[in-house]
Amino acid sequence: MIHHIQNKIYHIEVLPPKQDSEKLEKDLEIFSNKYLRVMDSSYCTCITDNTMGLLSFQGTEIIEELDLPVMSEQVMIHLNTFHTKDDLDNILDICKSKGIRYLLIITGDGSERLPKLQPSDVGATDVESVTSVELLKYINHEYPDTFVLGAAFNPYEPEEHEFEKMKRKMKAGATYIITQPLIERNEVVDRLLEKYPEIPVIIGTWMSRKLHLLSEAVGYEIPGNAEYDPISTLKMLHKLYPGCGVYLSLLGFKTQYDLIKDIWV
Amino acid sequence: MKIVVCIKQVPATNDAKIDPETKRIVREGMKAILNPFDTYAVEEGVQLRDKFGGEVIALSMGPPKAEASLREAISVGVDRAILLSDRAFGGSDTWATSYALAKAIKKIGDIDLVICGKQAIDGDTAQVGPGIAAHLDWLQATYVMAVEEISSSSIRVKRMHEDGYDICEMSLPAVITVVKDINIPRVPSLKGRLASNKCEIPVWKPDDIGADTSKIGLNGSPTRVVKIQPPPPRHTSTKKIEGSSIECAQTLLRELRLRSIV
Repeated sequence: MIHHIQNKIYHIEVLPPKQDSEKLEKDLEIFSNKYLRVMDSSYCTCITDNTMGLLSFQGTEIIEELDLPVMSEQVMIHLNTFHTKDDLDNILDICKSKGIRYLLIITGDGSERLPKLQPSDVGATDVESVTSVELLKYINHEYPDTFVLGAAFNPYEPEEHEFEKMKRKMKAGATYIITQPLIERNEVVDRLLEKYPEIPVIIGTWMSRKLHLLSEAVGYEIPGNAEYDPISTLKMLHKLYPGCGVYLSLLGFKTQYDLIKDIWV
Repeated sequence: MKIVVCIKQVPATNDAKIDPETKRIVREGMKAILNPFDTYAVEEGVQLRDKFGGEVIALSMGPPKAEASLREAISVGVDRAILLSDRAFGGSDTWATSYALAKAIKKIGDIDLVICGKQAIDGDTAQVGPGIAAHLDWLQATYVMAVEEISSSSIRVKRMHEDGYDICEMSLPAVITVVKDINIPRVPSLKGRLASNKCEIPVWKPDDIGADTSKIGLNGSPTRVVKIQPPPPRHTSTKKIEGSSIECAQTLLRELRLRSIV
């Protein structure tokens, strides 16, 4: 992951079409266009996994179905704990066969319609429910030396608890960290960088003007700001965190995409 | 084994509007979904078919847009689907609806098992499944939480009730209605969803199923809705728990225990 940062490769979040889409073919076309555009720009496409419990199609099945090209360094798949064991193994097998190496392992958001991995599914005997820690351990054990596994860091959660979790994620095999989106300097992230100086950290950056969506995404109230300017924020975060990579959440492909190419120089 | 799963498209809202004249739900302009309880019926049908072979057919009655819910059933493994749709079916209550569905089931023929969700989230009556059994004069088991055994001639199920469960064995053909505990419905795959978009779904009208038009629609519906009103609002209160993490957890646990939640 470190060379993503050295080579100034943006991580660009692309949301797959939702399960209840009434215009699925059109949504797949839009997804495909975004995916290919990120590939052409030599950035890394990061495909989410049922974000906020909203049922969506899996990145791996879309890549397979649409026969999208995979450059190993340019695709990252999010993988959470809301799957059946069969689905999980199927996703991992497709990733392996397609040469997708980068996985971001998260606990994720459930919903009534989503199954949840059981401890026995991932060989965990000492927990009552599966979190990203058990999932990291499982993947490392079942697919040794196959994937580059990352973990998420939420600076909006109580700090002590979040650092404790991060320690377990690292022990379980995470080799890079992606933070929840920031809109300004964050002291908890500063302390994360101090604590893990050798670990590549990718700073999440909120690219939508709608800050209430960020509050929903991170689970904590982010004060609204009518003047919020994502592009200025991106420039500021580059200056504040020069040794870090950048993950762009909800980047506007029509209005913002062309503006980012000259920012990280 | 030949299985029919009866499904219903319902409004995707907890805030349905009621027409003051007809006392019926206003469905126009409302986003619609497959009745959540029916997803368990579909999954059970698909699992039984996968285990014992045969065919699983989704059946629904509703306006043309109800086809979307049938496609959803196909996308998770149902073999084919049939829609009963005609103005003459409009306004059917649970009795008339179960009559029409029973006529369609007879027309499909050689059915071993009919599976329904325990109820639809819009009407909440839980009457259509039992109504189908009554019209077909088949045995029925409601609130099924597990199919324990099934053969070509009989089925043994576990029925959930407030104080525990019953084990029932009955001969086939039969009707069962299922609860959420029975399985975990699968999420449609992209391949399944794309394939379902290409499927042809036949639309049957009253004549196609040999329905007596005096027994469907408003004419065939003995139910009269006299009055509809929302339930009284629930009185809720919020209590802030303060203290250290351990103290908060202890207080929360105590409060939950006092309310018999844990």
